[in-house]
Amino acid sequence: MSKRETMPSLVTVTIDGKVCQGQRGQTILEIARAHDIYIPTMCYLTKVMPIASCRMCVVAVEGVEGMILSCQERAVEGAVIHTQNEALYRERQNIMKLYGVNHPLECGVCDKSGECDLQNKTLEFHVDQQPFAAKDQHRPVQDWGFVSYDPSLCIMCEKCVRVSNEITGNGALQIASGGYKSTIVNTKMDKSDMSLGESAAVCPVGALVATDFKYSSNAWELEKIPASCSHCSAACQLYYEVKNEKIYRVTNAYEFASLCGRGRFDFDFANSGVVKDQEAFDKAVKALSEADSVIFDSRITNEEALILQKLKEKLGFRLVNHEARAYQKFTEAYSSISGKTLYNGTLKQVAEARAIIVLGTRLHDDNPQVDYHITMASKRHKARVVYMHPMEDGRMQERVTQFVKYEVGTEDGVAALLAHTLLTEAVLPASIREVLDDLDIGNLSAESNIGEEELTDIAVSMQGKAHRVLIVGSDLYAHPRAAQIAKLLALLERYAGFSVMLVPPSTNTLGVSLICTLDDRTEGKTVGYHAKADFVLSSSQEGDLDMPALNQQEGTFTPLDKCVVPTHVALPYGGFVLNDLASALGVRQPYTIAYTAMLPTDKGYRTEHFDALPDHYDATGEAHRGYLLHEQTCASHLEIEEVEELDGYDGVVVYRCDSQEILSASIRPTEEMQYMPLKGSQQFATAAKLKDGEVIEFMIDGVTMKRVFRIDTSMKGTVALNPQFDMGLSTPLLSSYRFSRLKFQRVES
Amino acid sequence: MSAVVFSTWQGEFVDNRHAEGDAVAQTSFKLPVLYTAETKSKAFIGWDGVAIFDRDIDAVRLATEYAAQYQEYSEACGRCAPGRWGGRILYDMLDKIARGEGSYADVEHLREVSQTMMLTSKCEIGRTVPKPILDLLEHYKEQFDSCILEQKPSRHYQSDIGYIAKITAPCMDVCPAHVDIPAYIEGVRDMQFSESLAATRQTMPLAHTCGRVCPHPCEDACRRTNLDEPISIMELKRLGADYEADHALPWQHPHAPKPPRNDGKKVAIVGAGPAGLTAAYYLGLEGIRVDIFEELPVNGGEVAVGVPEYRMPIDKYNKDIDLVLELPTVSIQNNHRVTADRLKELDAAYDAVLLGFGARLSKKVRADNENPDMGGYWGAISMLDKVNLWHKYQIGSPASNELKGKTVVCVGGGFTSMDVVRCAIREGAKKVTMLYRRDEKTIIRNTTYEEYHEAVEEGVEFIFYSSIREIIDDGKQITKLIADTFELVPDPDGGRPQLLKVEGGEFELECDYLIPAVSQSCDMQLIPEEWDLKLTSWGTLLTNGKDYMTSKEGLFAAGDCEYGPMTIVNAVGQAKRAASVISRYLYNGGKCTLTDDEIMEDHLNQLRVYNKNEKITGWMPGLPREESEKLSVDARKTNNREVNLGFTGEEASAEAERCMRCYYISMVAV
Repeated sequence: MSKRETMPSLVTVTIDGKVCQGQRGQTILEIARAHDIYIPTMCYLTKVMPIASCRMCVVAVEGVEGMILSCQERAVEGAVIHTQNEALYRERQNIMKLYGVNHPLECGVCDKSGECDLQNKTLEFHVDQQPFAAKDQHRPVQDWGFVSYDPSLCIMCEKCVRVSNEITGNGALQIASGGYKSTIVNTKMDKSDMSLGESAAVCPVGALVATDFKYSSNAWELEKIPASCSHCSAACQLYYEVKNEKIYRVTNAYEFASLCGRGRFDFDFANSGVVKDQEAFDKAVKALSEADSVIFDSRITNEEALILQKLKEKLGFRLVNHEARAYQKFTEAYSSISGKTLYNGTLKQVAEARAIIVLGTRLHDDNPQVDYHITMASKRHKARVVYMHPMEDGRMQERVTQFVKYEVGTEDGVAALLAHTLLTEAVLPASIREVLDDLDIGNLSAESNIGEEELTDIAVSMQGKAHRVLIVGSDLYAHPRAAQIAKLLALLERYAGFSVMLVPPSTNTLGVSLICTLDDRTEGKTVGYHAKADFVLSSSQEGDLDMPALNQQEGTFTPLDKCVVPTHVALPYGGFVLNDLASALGVRQPYTIAYTAMLPTDKGYRTEHFDALPDHYDATGEAHRGYLLHEQTCASHLEIEEVEELDGYDGVVVYRCDSQEILSASIRPTEEMQYMPLKGSQQFATAAKLKDGEVIEFMIDGVTMKRVFRIDTSMKGTVALNPQFDMGLSTPLLSSYRFSRLKFQRVES
Repeated sequence: MSAVVFSTWQGEFVDNRHAEGDAVAQTSFKLPVLYTAETKSKAFIGWDGVAIFDRDIDAVRLATEYAAQYQEYSEACGRCAPGRWGGRILYDMLDKIARGEGSYADVEHLREVSQTMMLTSKCEIGRTVPKPILDLLEHYKEQFDSCILEQKPSRHYQSDIGYIAKITAPCMDVCPAHVDIPAYIEGVRDMQFSESLAATRQTMPLAHTCGRVCPHPCEDACRRTNLDEPISIMELKRLGADYEADHALPWQHPHAPKPPRNDGKKVAIVGAGPAGLTAAYYLGLEGIRVDIFEELPVNGGEVAVGVPEYRMPIDKYNKDIDLVLELPTVSIQNNHRVTADRLKELDAAYDAVLLGFGARLSKKVRADNENPDMGGYWGAISMLDKVNLWHKYQIGSPASNELKGKTVVCVGGGFTSMDVVRCAIREGAKKVTMLYRRDEKTIIRNTTYEEYHEAVEEGVEFIFYSSIREIIDDGKQITKLIADTFELVPDPDGGRPQLLKVEGGEFELECDYLIPAVSQSCDMQLIPEEWDLKLTSWGTLLTNGKDYMTSKEGLFAAGDCEYGPMTIVNAVGQAKRAASVISRYLYNGGKCTLTDDEIMEDHLNQLRVYNKNEKITGWMPGLPREESEKLSVDARKTNNREVNLGFTGEEASAEAERCMRCYYISMVAV
């Protein structure tokens, strides 16, 4: 047994005369901050491990000679610590003088001015003269795509490198050590790398700035609007920074939270210039009142979802959202085994995991925030990461310890094999044990193409690990045998100690699935809410009546962490909103956010008013955003059907997936792109008899897609990546399993 | 003892500037007065002071050049604000004074910056660089004064003087392979595991292996010991290696292997053990063609067939081996026994030959009636061969055929004997006894605490202060042993205590198998007699311990065949040096040369870098060393699963954060 385990779990120290208690293993700085004691730092970043480059945080400890680095040194029982004295002040001041050596005096044009740590601390330590000097060096500014790097402004705090390695995980940024000549280098020089925004966000000076934001505004002129990101189900905390009714940039509480490139750079989607069009409004009221069905997209707030539900109750139309319905059915089946309304996993558990299985998602593209948390687990805890998918993803290599490739369509077999492998020692109800014992492992293994040796490796990776996580993605929700898959995976939560996350496929899929009673398909006259229909309400200016975009609304989301988070209005909106339509139809509330307190309590929501929702992080980095859904138990039916013959896909297949790289191209197109590319391997090209550059047309769920085929030499196999983000109002119509067999026609381009 | 003009080294103040005759004081340190046999040093300056050997020294320039070297070498640094800017400012100020353009204000700034560096720098290099500079400012003040007052350059400012610097650390210095330990620990701390591995592989290709089975002499020279407990240096090495293997990443070489030279030059290596593999690796990285000749069907030498699976899993060792063998210019022939005739052929056909064979002859226990052909008498090397060939490669047959249910007695006290007894337990022996002439403390010192403790846990009985007097047999088979008991009798005159036989202390031991593991020697049959090679008194190949060339031109030796049975890391260190020497030998007309870095390495090793009496400041004492989880006795003693599960991520980070980065820079003026 390690000596640490025999030590008490709490330590008590005295800091500046105040008796402070902390957890064993906490640093002096962490304990000080938790007790509101200030210690200056330049390189400390709460969300990563201590960097220890600035040395500003030195403190004095009684009985210990020399100065002690509080950010890195763990508190020792009984230590008496002083954070302020003359000697410490002098050294801290000297460090600030050193930081000032040859730092260009260009605050007047620097983007960081006004929110610059160097500026602030230079003033704080009264550095009004510079006694030190060294020969200056010529160091030109570098364009890294979404961000730019100015080495002469860089103080080498290393925060950006830490974030690149420990959170976003691509390790693009590295330190080129060289004493005075030390600099940060971009080892990948991939100009489409939006994750560098996360590195720029933590830069304490003006060295790393968003290229587009550069020289566009002074920091102090911008109003920070707190909001939640509307791009995916992580709904990350962010601020829209606004001046004169324009968003200049997106920032976040970078000390504690992270934001992916899309969240940071893809903010220009407001429906602007809209005025109230009474005629269109009246038509919309009429269309709704006559509608047989309303079809809608999951990128809406909880309040909008509730209004739609109330309208359904009032008007009796069918309420359709294919994606949320599939998710709803999946979670219902899941709950029938788990006995709880919600899955048990959280992002925090992912970051703390020692062993992770990712199943049924191209995670790096589908949900960067979950991927970031896997990176944290991988780097900090040496987590074993088993990545199971029909397509290999080289971008995940540094975190994945085992890639398991299975045949498209055989996910039910894969789930059965996983359950069989990971529940060998579990105490199971006889009926379930029987089903697992009856599995024809040889056959499942052959059909899914997962070798028994691979299963053994998975078992070994998971063996004895205290924190085990299963991440389930959206390939599974619309699978023909989704319910069976859900039940098999729920066994892992209930009987194998896994924390499971059923990652919702879209921003508010979870909220919609909890709030709305959904129907399976549309019928008769349709109204679309951000969806293609006979009458369309939309924020994309393609509809019959304009609606506000998500950065023009207040309300809440229900993200994958099973909580309720608020978002606020960044830009004004002059038109009608859904609540106006509802009010006209007899579902009356003065404001949309009146619905926040009416969200269904039987699904775990609280009767909390919107304005009462907290939205901040405390000094220790703990998030106080909205509230957590109340988990409820539900009746479980411990029955699992036998696994049927697997239905693998032969031939060429396309996979609906919005790659991060393609997205970045859409934000800032490098060339005129008429059609979005369908990317496939050379093998795919041969099998499909397609040449690079050929334009083809095919149909999925009744939606026609035109794509230019591109060979991607980094890819393997016979599955091609088919983007969908350009499908606009047709997106909600895409309802089937994410993989589909490709039957195409060539198009004259 | 060195003759010095002036020295402040390690707090010892020697000032002979005005002394003559008997008044001339000596230093007790082995300072590099002679840089090489031909070259005198003018001065030595480093982390713990400055020593002047030449009365005509230019102290101002010496200080300036030392600061410059700190700049030059700052690839190891530049990672903290005081070190990064402070180092540069030190140099700029000193050079300004040395040029004859300085002022007393510069001296004041210099002192101020020095103070900040010494108090707040991240690593020892930043904390110690100012020390000798301040010493020179104080004791050679008149030279600084004259530069400032007269505004003229220092006395030898324009002269052609060589300044040779070297970075070291106490742990690096005692490591026979001089692994850049602070760098690989920093890689773990920063979670830059690939960088950590690259740092290790600069001088140590066997990262998996030496992250597991190294006796880690570095930990005995860890400065953290002066504060609380040494860093768990060895185990932190596993992190980088495991990261590469776990994620199936491409080989992380310290630098990209140079393209094959294809110039006809080639090196033969005899033996694919740690020495042979290491030499092949560093020659291969240089693009030099290397052919390895290995007697066994398997690669890896004693570490493969000697060290058991539960200590050194073969799939991990194979990673280290593949790293070497997959280099484009390295090839290997197995089942190729090199005889004396064959060695003559190799010598003729190759530009250089490196002997890297092991010590595989088990020595006798020297008891009465000792007959190696008697049934039940089984040499340790041959016993471990059988165990390992079966478990790791399914070659041969299981040793449990012989050992199951039997009574096994091993005579030893070193690592090999520990492997013997623990393997015997795993093969199902009924009773396993280890006989050792000395006490428990010594066996722990000769192996490790863990090794001894784990053997006891697994049920090995240790009998200390005993040795075998006589072996009893029934004509075919050993039946029992008669052993003597010894005691350690202190010398009344204060000399070394004597080990004396206890009268009437003899006892009998049941024994089916006696496994001697006292020591091993080298089989020198492959050395052609007519070469008349010089050997050491203990029967190994003699070299000068610096360039590893034997008494025969072009024939080099490294590892156990040079040193005698020793550690993996020793073989690696020797072979790395030999490879470096060979890489020059091939191209400079057959001269054996050392680089300045290697010369400095040897000087510092002489001087000794670690000072166990140094008081540590600026660090919190009382943080315990992390210990990794081990398999429980029941879970391990009937199988070959790896016993040490290695650090978890948080244990590794916590342990890496305890490292004080004790880099030092030293410099010689010649």
